[in-house]
Amino acid sequence: MTDAKVENKITKKDLVKVFWRNILGLQMGWNYEKMQGLGYCFAMMPVLKKLYTTKEDMSKALKLHLQFFNTTPAMSHLIIGADVAMEEEYGLENEEAISAIKTGMMGPFAGIGDTVFVAIYRSLVFSVASYMALQGSVAGALIPIIPAIAIWWVRYEFTMLGYQQGRKIAIGFANQLKQLTEGASILGLTVIGGLAPSVVKANVPLVFKSGDVTFKLQDMLDTIMPSMVPVGIVLLSYWLLGRKGFNSTKLIVFLLILGVVLYNLKILG
Amino acid sequence: MHIAFWQILLLTAYAFVAQLDALSLQISLGTPLLSGFFTGLVLGNVPMGLTVGATLQLMVLGVATYGGATVPDFMSAAIIGTSFAIISGQDVEFALGIALPIGLLLTQLDILARMANVYFQHKADRYAEDGDADGVSQMNLMGIIPWGISRGLPVFLGLYFGNEVVSAITKYLPQWLMGGLKVAGGILPAMGIAILMRYLPIKKFYPFLIIGFVLAAYLKVSLIGIALVGFAIAAAYLYFKNDLKPGAEGGDIDD
Repeated sequence: MTDAKVENKITKKDLVKVFWRNILGLQMGWNYEKMQGLGYCFAMMPVLKKLYTTKEDMSKALKLHLQFFNTTPAMSHLIIGADVAMEEEYGLENEEAISAIKTGMMGPFAGIGDTVFVAIYRSLVFSVASYMALQGSVAGALIPIIPAIAIWWVRYEFTMLGYQQGRKIAIGFANQLKQLTEGASILGLTVIGGLAPSVVKANVPLVFKSGDVTFKLQDMLDTIMPSMVPVGIVLLSYWLLGRKGFNSTKLIVFLLILGVVLYNLKILG
Repeated sequence: MHIAFWQILLLTAYAFVAQLDALSLQISLGTPLLSGFFTGLVLGNVPMGLTVGATLQLMVLGVATYGGATVPDFMSAAIIGTSFAIISGQDVEFALGIALPIGLLLTQLDILARMANVYFQHKADRYAEDGDADGVSQMNLMGIIPWGISRGLPVFLGLYFGNEVVSAITKYLPQWLMGGLKVAGGILPAMGIAILMRYLPIKKFYPFLIIGFVLAAYLKVSLIGIALVGFAIAAAYLYFKNDLKPGAEGGDIDD
């Protein structure tokens, strides 16, 4: 009896396999019905094959993991790691608990993950990189690859952490991440504040003449506050996005039309 | 310049692989910045690729697939826009004018790919019924095909018919529109910024937004400099927050 138990132990090698299948496959089968469900099952496969040897068990396990799943890819490793730990200990005897923990964790983790790994990550890495590229630096285009590979390491650590903590991960880690999110938000917002004057280009060519005195509107605006027009357009966009039924696609169309109209009215150029 | 067939194939392959990268390893191949740069490299005009890619990248800073939402495909659009501008010897504004509508149009293909994968999900459900683990795995990998085609196909078709399309555009596109698109290209990065502002806790942390603005607009600090200041403030904030908390010595996590 004990022999069988030892045989079914999940090794570090298995976890590494799960990590790679997760990073490579989680979103390959993304679909509107179960979203990352197919990919989640794909990532769990080495563990399922080891734990469930009969056809009935395997069928039950496959069906369990093909269920709806969706979270930030980087955060999914914590959940999968915890799931592996739970199934290694209890198997499928408590199917509902596994399902409940998966679905219970994916929502809050997506909230944190989308802020840290998507919004803040992008605002930092790609604003700096694009700014460099605009100045003609090839390094600007290649720099994003470095933090991207650092994220692999984070995702690997998440897999191991999830496995060690098991179901406790849901409570303990969320608190620590809250602090990290706060710090990252401050960093992100500081950079975003600097972004509008650096990358939004809006020059006012209007010139007034009264007798001998010429009067450039742009110069006047600059004495009130530099980058006033770019900031105004950012705030307008921000306000529009908060309106019901307005989304980023509509905003692109709106800004395109605004650009054409303001150019032809000779307000911007 | 005339685009060679091997260049079309290379850029098509890039678009195919870049989309898979965006779904998995995420080393950034699937961003407009890198796809624009790569196109410039293949077609021999790196500065053009860098500028088009970076401008589109700034626009989509905040546009990401949160929770699987479909967004415009500016990765493929950067390839097509950059290529068209280089083929016709036009400038960056021309490339952006092409890339923007194409990116919006390609949204539909992203939706199609996500719909096509429902078929593989259903097949996987049937394999699961039989306990066929390898069958399920294969169905997940089949998703590679719709995903890759959704990016590779438009790039191939766009570039294959590129010469005809470009000459038609340059013939009929009026100056009032080209000039307008140039202005639009300048203000569009405002969108990326606005979306990020919507996504971050701006009500709580708005003072830091102002600090960043003052550093850039008044003191002309570069973005890397601003990022360093932001990092220092964030670290100090967390330090003082933990230090001032009553009973911090106990170190219990009860907040």
